Amino acid sequence: MPKTGGNAVDIELTINGERTIVEAGSGDDLATVLRQHGYIDVKCGCDGGTCGASKVFVDGDVRMACEMEATDADGSEIQTVAALGTQADLHPVQQAFVDNFAVQCGFCIPGMVIQAVALLDSNPDPTEREVREALDDNVCRCTGYQKPVEAVLDAAQRMQGEQSVAADGGHPVSAPTHGDESTSCCGGDCDE
Amino acid sequence: MSNDDETAKADGGTASQSETVEDERFEEHPLEWDEPENNDKAPDERDSVSHRTEKYDDRKLVTGQAKYTADYEERYPDLAYAAVVRSEIPHGRVTDIDTSAAEAIDGVEAVLTPESDAVPDAKYTSAGQSYPEPSPWDMHVLNEHVRYIGDPIAAVAAEDRATATAAVEAIEVSYEEADYVTDPEAAFDEDAPQLFEDGEVENEIVGHDYDRNRMAHIGGELGDVDGALDGNTHVHETEWETIRQSHANVEKHTSLAYTDEDDRHVLITSTQVPNHTRRQLAHLFDIPIRDIRVTKPRVGGGFGGKQAMVVEPIPLALSLATDRPVLYEASREEEFYAMRSRHPMKVKAKTAVTDDGDIEAIDIYALSNTGAYGSHGMTVAGNVGSKPMPLYSKVPNARFEADIVHTNTPQTGAMRGYGAPQGTLALEGHLDEVARDLGLDPIEFRRRHHMEVGDLDEIAGMMGGEGANRRIRSCGLDECIEHGKDAIGYDDLEQPDEDHLHRGIGMALSAQGTGVAGDELGAAQIMMNEDGSFHLQVGGVDIGTGADTAFLQIAAEVLGCDEDDIIVKSSDTDVTPFDYGAYASSTTYISGMAVKKAAEDAKARILDWGAKLLDEPVEKLETGDGTVYSESSGDSVTLEDIGYEAAYGDDEREHILGKGTHCTEESPPPFAAQFADVTVDETTGEFEVHKLVVAVDCGVAINPGMAEGQIEGANHMSYEMAVSDGITLDDEGRAEVADFDEYGLPSATETPPIESILVETHEPTGPFGAKSVAEVPTNTVPPALSNAVRDAVGVRIREMPITAEKIRAKLDEREI
Ligand code: FES
Ligand code: FES
Repeated sequence: MPKTGGNAVDIELTINGERTIVEAGSGDDLATVLRQHGYIDVKCGCDGGTCGASKVFVDGDVRMACEMEATDADGSEIQTVAALGTQADLHPVQQAFVDNFAVQCGFCIPGMVIQAVALLDSNPDPTEREVREALDDNVCRCTGYQKPVEAVLDAAQRMQGEQSVAADGGHPVSAPTHGDESTSCCGGDCDE
Repeated sequence: MSNDDETAKADGGTASQSETVEDERFEEHPLEWDEPENNDKAPDERDSVSHRTEKYDDRKLVTGQAKYTADYEERYPDLAYAAVVRSEIPHGRVTDIDTSAAEAIDGVEAVLTPESDAVPDAKYTSAGQSYPEPSPWDMHVLNEHVRYIGDPIAAVAAEDRATATAAVEAIEVSYEEADYVTDPEAAFDEDAPQLFEDGEVENEIVGHDYDRNRMAHIGGELGDVDGALDGNTHVHETEWETIRQSHANVEKHTSLAYTDEDDRHVLITSTQVPNHTRRQLAHLFDIPIRDIRVTKPRVGGGFGGKQAMVVEPIPLALSLATDRPVLYEASREEEFYAMRSRHPMKVKAKTAVTDDGDIEAIDIYALSNTGAYGSHGMTVAGNVGSKPMPLYSKVPNARFEADIVHTNTPQTGAMRGYGAPQGTLALEGHLDEVARDLGLDPIEFRRRHHMEVGDLDEIAGMMGGEGANRRIRSCGLDECIEHGKDAIGYDDLEQPDEDHLHRGIGMALSAQGTGVAGDELGAAQIMMNEDGSFHLQVGGVDIGTGADTAFLQIAAEVLGCDEDDIIVKSSDTDVTPFDYGAYASSTTYISGMAVKKAAEDAKARILDWGAKLLDEPVEKLETGDGTVYSESSGDSVTLEDIGYEAAYGDDEREHILGKGTHCTEESPPPFAAQFADVTVDETTGEFEVHKLVVAVDCGVAINPGMAEGQIEGANHMSYEMAVSDGITLDDEGRAEVADFDEYGLPSATETPPIESILVETHEPTGPFGAKSVAEVPTNTVPPALSNAVRDAVGVRIREMPITAEKIRAKLDEREI
C-alpha cells in the first residue's frame, strides 16, 4: 500500500510538461504524490515494486513510481502515460495495444505502455525475446503476454522511420539513458 | 446442483427401456431449437457481430483516463481510509482487543471490533451467488472465533493511509489459542480440531458434518458404475493434486462507501456481482435493498475473486460509524492471505475399459479443501464433475462424488474455471494414461468417446435432476482437435539431436458451461436519443473482459446503426436493469441475449416510425447503415430523422425505448482442445515448453479479437496452474507469499508463446450463435503438459506443479 509520511516539504516537479510545486511528506512515494495531485493514470497494483503498473518516466528513465521517494524526484521531469497521447490522438504504442486487443481490464496498461515506449526508444526494432525481456516485470493477469508482445512488435513496425516519440503537447519523451534500465527499471538501483 | 446426500440417481433400465427414455428426453430437450431467423446470420451478412470492433473503453484505458474504484478518492475530500486487523493465529478465540492506543492516535476516526454497534452480528457468506444462497452462512464481518491467519478481527478508519496502518499496528489482540488443522485429509479425522461448533453455521448445506469439518458432500451416478468396474478387465485408478492459486487481479479488492443526501448507502466497488452484493449487504446490515446502491466503475480484473462480497462490509460499517466516506483498498499481501484463492484439491479418477478399448465407466471423486469458510465450496466441487465429465457423455456409467472439507487455511472461493480445472486435470490426464497403457493413440481414444451434436448430456442431470440434462446443439471438438494438431505440428514432430533431450506433445480436451442452467437473469434497456443515438443500459458486468463492447456489437447488429452511436452504461444498481453478474461464463450469452431482445424491442418501434415517415408497410422495412429503408421502394429515412420526429413530432410523440430480459434452462458447453509441445532433459528433468496451442469452439465469437484475448489470458492462467507453486502455506497455514515476486505468476519471458484458434460453430440458443469463451481455456494446460511430459520421457506427474525435480525423481525411480 502506498505510504504517506509526515513532515511535508514542497518539491518541484515538471509533470507531463507542466511545472508544479507539490507537497510531499518524508517517506511519501512518488506514485502516491502523483495520484494525490490528480495523475490517476499512475496505477498501484502491489505494495511496491513488484507489479510494474506504476511505471513512469523520471528524467527519461523508467521508474516504478511507488518505489521512489517523492522527495528524491525534486526537480525532475516526469511523464506519465497520459503524456503520450490523447484518446483522440493515441501514441503509436497505445494505438498498437488497442488494435492488437492487448488490453482487457487495463489496470496494468499504463505501466506496460511506458515500458514499451522506453524499449522502442532505445531499441526501435526489437526481437520478440527482447520485447518479452522488456515486459518481464510488468504483471498482466488478463491477457497474459501474447497480445501485449504482439502489440509492441506491431508498434515497432508502425514507428519505423519516425525520428522521435512525440508526446502530447509537443514535449518529447527523452530516450532512456541507460539501456539496461529500460528492460528492468528496478534492477536494484531504483533508490540510488 | 443437488444438495442431497442420497446421491444415486441410477437409470437402472434395460436396453429397450432406456431407448424409450431416450426418446422422451429428446422431446424434452429437442435437437431442433426454435431459433429466430435473424439469429443465424451468414458471416457476410454480419455488420457488427464477429467483427474486430475496437474495445469500447480501450482509448481511456491506454491513456490512463479510465476510473477504477480507488480513482474516486479525489472526489471525496473528507474521505477516510480503512485498514483491518487480522488474526495472527490459525485457530482460537479472541479474548481481548485493546484499542486504546489506536484510538489515541491523531487522525483515527473509528476503531471497530465485533462488539461495535456499526458491525453486523448476522452470519453470512461472502459468495456472490443467486438466491437462496448455495453457500453456508458461516462468516462474520469481524470475528471473535478466528479460523485462519488472516481472519478479520477489527477495522479502523483514519484520515490517511499511514495513520490507518499505524492504528492497526497499535491494536493489541489477546487470544485463547486452539488446536488447528491445515491438511484436508487430517481434518477429516474423528479427533481432528473442529472449526465450527454447533450453532455457528446457518443455511447449512445438506451432507455437512461439522464434527468432521465437512461442509458438504455431493454426488450422483448414472447407470451402475460398480457393476461396470467389476465386469471389466481394464480398471485404472489415478490420483491428481492441484495448487492453491491466487486470482492475482492486478487491481486489488477496493471498495468505497458513503451515505448520500437521501440517506441511501452508496458503494463504488470493484465487484463482479453488483446486484448480489446489494442483496447481501441488505441482509447483513438489515437495510432495505432499495436503500443501497452498488456501482461498479472500471474493474481491474476479477477472475472470480470479486464474485464475492469480500471487502464491502468493512467500508460500509466504517462509514456508518464515522459518517464519512470510507475507502478500503486491500494490500497486495492481504490479496494473497486474506482474500480468496482457488480450492486446492485431490481428485481420483477411475475407469473401466473393455478389451476393445470402449470406456464403460468413469468414476471421479474429489476432496476439496475449502479453507476456513465455505463460500462457493459445494458449487465449485460440483463442477469438478459436471463440467469435464460431459465430454464423454457416451460412456454409459458415470459417477461423481466430492467431500468439501474445512481446514485452518486461507479462504477459497470462485475462480475462473470453477472446479473444472481440477476435474479436467484428473480426467484428461487419466484418459491419456489409460490410452497409453492400452497401446491406443490418446487422441483417437478420446475421439471414439467424445461428445457430438445430438448427444444428450445427462451428467448435468445426474447432479441436478433430469431437468438439467442438456441436448448438444453445437460441438466443434473434432475441428478443434484437427486445427490444434496442425498448429502444434503433431504429425511431424522432430526429436532433438541430443540423446538426452526428448520432445513430446500432450493434448487435453475441455468443456465448460455457458451460464448456470436455469439460474441466471440478465436485463437491458435501450433509449433512443433524438439525434438517432442510443443509450444502452445493461446489468451485465464488464470487469475487463470486453463485455460492454460485446453488448454494443449485439445492439448495433440489431439496430443497424453505427457502433459509435451507442453509449453503454453497465452495472449501477440504481440505473441499470437487474443482472446476476459476471460469472459462470454467462455474460455474453445471458446478458447479451437480454441486450438483443432490448434492441429488437426498440427496433420494432423504430420500424413503426419508419413506416409512418416513409408511408410504407412495416413488413417491407429494415434497419441498416443508420437508416430505416424499404427493400421494395429503395426509400430510406435516417435514425436521426426518426429520433427527432418521435421526440418532437406534431401529432404523436414517443420516447423510443426497448427492454429485454433473459433467462434460460440452457447452458451449452463451449469446447477446447489444448496442445503442449515440450522438450525434457532426461538427465536433469528440466523441461522447456516451446508452445501452447488452444483451439476453442465458442460458437460465433462476437468479437474475435477479444475472444482471442480471453483465450490466451485464460491459457496463461492455466499454464500457471501447471508450473507454479501457487500460494504455499507454512505449517500453521500462513501464506508464504506476500508480493508478485514471491508469487510464481509466469512472467513474459517465462510464458511460452500461446496460439489461440477460434473454431466457429453456431449455437442456436445464444445471441447470434454465441456461447461462452472465458473459462474453458483455463482448464487444459495442466493435463496437456502432464501428457506431453509423459509423451516425451514416459513418466507421469500427477501432482501440480510439474517441476524438474519431480520429473527427475520419477525418472530415477524408473531406472531402478
Ligand atoms: S505499484 Fe506495483 S510496481 Fe508500483
Ligand atoms: S489488462 Fe488486466 S492486468 Fe493487464
